Amino acid sequence: MNRSISKPAGTFAVLAVASLALTGCGREADTNDPGPGAGAAIDDIAATGTIDVWAMGTEGEELGAFVEDFEKENPDAEVNVTAVPWEAAHDKIANAITAGETPDVSLIGTTWMGEFAEAGGLEPTPEGLVEESDFYEGAWDSTVVGDTSYGVPWFVETRALYYRTDLAEKAGWDQAPQTWDELKQFATDLEEKAGAEYGISLQPGQTGSWQTVLPFAWSNGAEVTNDDGTEYTIDSPETTEALEYYKSFFDEGLAETRTQDVGELEIGFAEGKYASFISGPWYSGLVEDQGLSPDKYTVAPLPGKDSAPGTSFVGGGDLAVFEESDNRESAWKLVKWLSEPQVQQDWYETMGDLPAVESSWDSGELADDPMLQVFGEQLGSAQAPPAVPTWEQVAAVIDSDVEKAVKGASPVEESVSDMQSQAESIGTGL
Amino acid sequence: MRRQQAVAAWVLAVPFMALFLVFTAGPVLASLGMSFTDIRSTDMSSPFAVGFLGMENYTKLLADPLFQKVMVNTGLYVVLGVPLTMVLALAAAVGLNRVTRLQGLFRVGYYMPVVTSIVAVSVVWRFLLRDEGGLVNTALSWVGVNGPGWLDSTALALPSLVVMSAWRNLGTLMVIFLAGLQTIPMDVKEAAEVDGAGAWQRFRHITLPLLRPTLLFGAVITSIGYLQFFEEAFVMTKGGPLDATRSVTFFTYDQFSFGNYGYAAAASYLLFLAVVVLTLAQFKLFGEKE
Repeated sequence: MNRSISKPAGTFAVLAVASLALTGCGREADTNDPGPGAGAAIDDIAATGTIDVWAMGTEGEELGAFVEDFEKENPDAEVNVTAVPWEAAHDKIANAITAGETPDVSLIGTTWMGEFAEAGGLEPTPEGLVEESDFYEGAWDSTVVGDTSYGVPWFVETRALYYRTDLAEKAGWDQAPQTWDELKQFATDLEEKAGAEYGISLQPGQTGSWQTVLPFAWSNGAEVTNDDGTEYTIDSPETTEALEYYKSFFDEGLAETRTQDVGELEIGFAEGKYASFISGPWYSGLVEDQGLSPDKYTVAPLPGKDSAPGTSFVGGGDLAVFEESDNRESAWKLVKWLSEPQVQQDWYETMGDLPAVESSWDSGELADDPMLQVFGEQLGSAQAPPAVPTWEQVAAVIDSDVEKAVKGASPVEESVSDMQSQAESIGTGL
Repeated sequence: MRRQQAVAAWVLAVPFMALFLVFTAGPVLASLGMSFTDIRSTDMSSPFAVGFLGMENYTKLLADPLFQKVMVNTGLYVVLGVPLTMVLALAAAVGLNRVTRLQGLFRVGYYMPVVTSIVAVSVVWRFLLRDEGGLVNTALSWVGVNGPGWLDSTALALPSLVVMSAWRNLGTLMVIFLAGLQTIPMDVKEAAEVDGAGAWQRFRHITLPLLRPTLLFGAVITSIGYLQFFEEAFVMTKGGPLDATRSVTFFTYDQFSFGNYGYAAAASYLLFLAVVVLTLAQFKLFGEKE
């Protein structure tokens, strides 16, 4: 028995050592060079040739028909859209970059920008392609890795405060809370005077809770990284204070410490169990599907700490052109076309995706929808998480520390300093 | 003739060997190599230009408080899950061995959860274990007990998952044990009965010792299964509350999705080591005594 094991084991060891020798070539001195500040400029001539585009989810299904207008304006160009499911998209793009088999353009989730730009897959945005100031600041920032922009925002989403207007009226509130103190009082009144089981529904940690917690920290003046995005600055009195405030909703029984099942929130909101919550524009459809009439709830911008407006989270999708693209000129022309205000409006009417270009909100269907205008207003005061390759991992740390703080497993200050020390040891990956 | 046979053997073996080397042995060795480096997902276009760390990933893992927690959790899964699953499976097998009518129906019934999609199972169990209006707590309220939120409690979430997992996996073991029981010759039992051995004595001194190889096999595959515990926690609790149900495999999965390929590879080799050690220990303890 022993003999028959030892031989393969020996071979195994030799091979392992050999593979080590190979992998041990060593990392080249990390140049930390963000590459050229901007890609070569793009001319104004019509686009030509084939442009391969990847887009995820429903965007991928609708985009093919939508770009026919672009093809009419640029008769020599042909756009091929491939729909990729969201779940598979991250790995598919990562593999494509590794293999050098990328499309020309792809939709990229805002939190992936750092990783793909750092992997060397994305081309910097050409000088003068679009005006940075046309876009919401938070949305533009999601394209910036290091000092360089690697794409153009396509659509955005942000979070605002949903609440039941009928319950608020019962509790004596005829307008939305404007400050942190008012929000606390608002939730208390909804519970005590209007009979809701929970005044507000907040996520007690776990996946994605950073998207609700960080806005409170940002509203309080905290920043996740320094201005250059080179160092984490989570460990600040402002973050601690924001997390203390967040936790107080759970301590005072205004929010539920249990993790909800999928679908519980919209059902509970329609039933009046939860009187308010913070989420994105897609929740209107979900709560109305539960039979809640639109005149019984509304949306308001997030309250700021004092008089200043609250800062929310901005997510969404960016359009990026790949280094390996063999038709980069035309690819960027398509990206430019998709970010024209009128096209952004049409895209909203086709898809319901909120435009990343500010002026698209001033006319058309969007301008007439009071609830969406609230999200538009909120977008003026919204931040994107830092575009660093390791963000997903840092976000998971924040999620887990938020849970520890909220459930009292560790004091708030310790949770915040743990976020900082873990984030530091993870690094920015740049 | 011998030469011809040797050539034929090689010709027949080469397709498998080639596939095995390229798709199994190669990646396994590559991942072992990766576990000694700081390779990340952003390095994939130049996988050899990474830093060599030696054992640093391993020492860092052992000092990582989250990894320590998931090791303890995984240990609990094994310690609670293996005996529970084995006892239930053995009981079901012994019971079924005596049933003559409808044996097929029962066998299908116990085996059904094994082939049911884990996602479907988890949705149903989440309903069963719900704090308010869950079937388990409703039943408890009939006898005046106010049931807890099973999956929301750091103390109860892991045992709840173990119970579900035992229910889900006992079918496979039961089939194996049933096959083992049917190899035990009737005349031995009859002889013992004639000598005046009771039912328990016959089970304890005849059935169990003769079933030893089957039990060993069952213990080994069940232990490996619980050491790699993942799906149930992934779909039921997402590793929460407060990481109480996060396992080593879950941790490794997270690290891979964060792009920390080197660190994740090191974690999976530590788990592999645990599998080897536990299996060897079981062979030592329960194997045939010479």
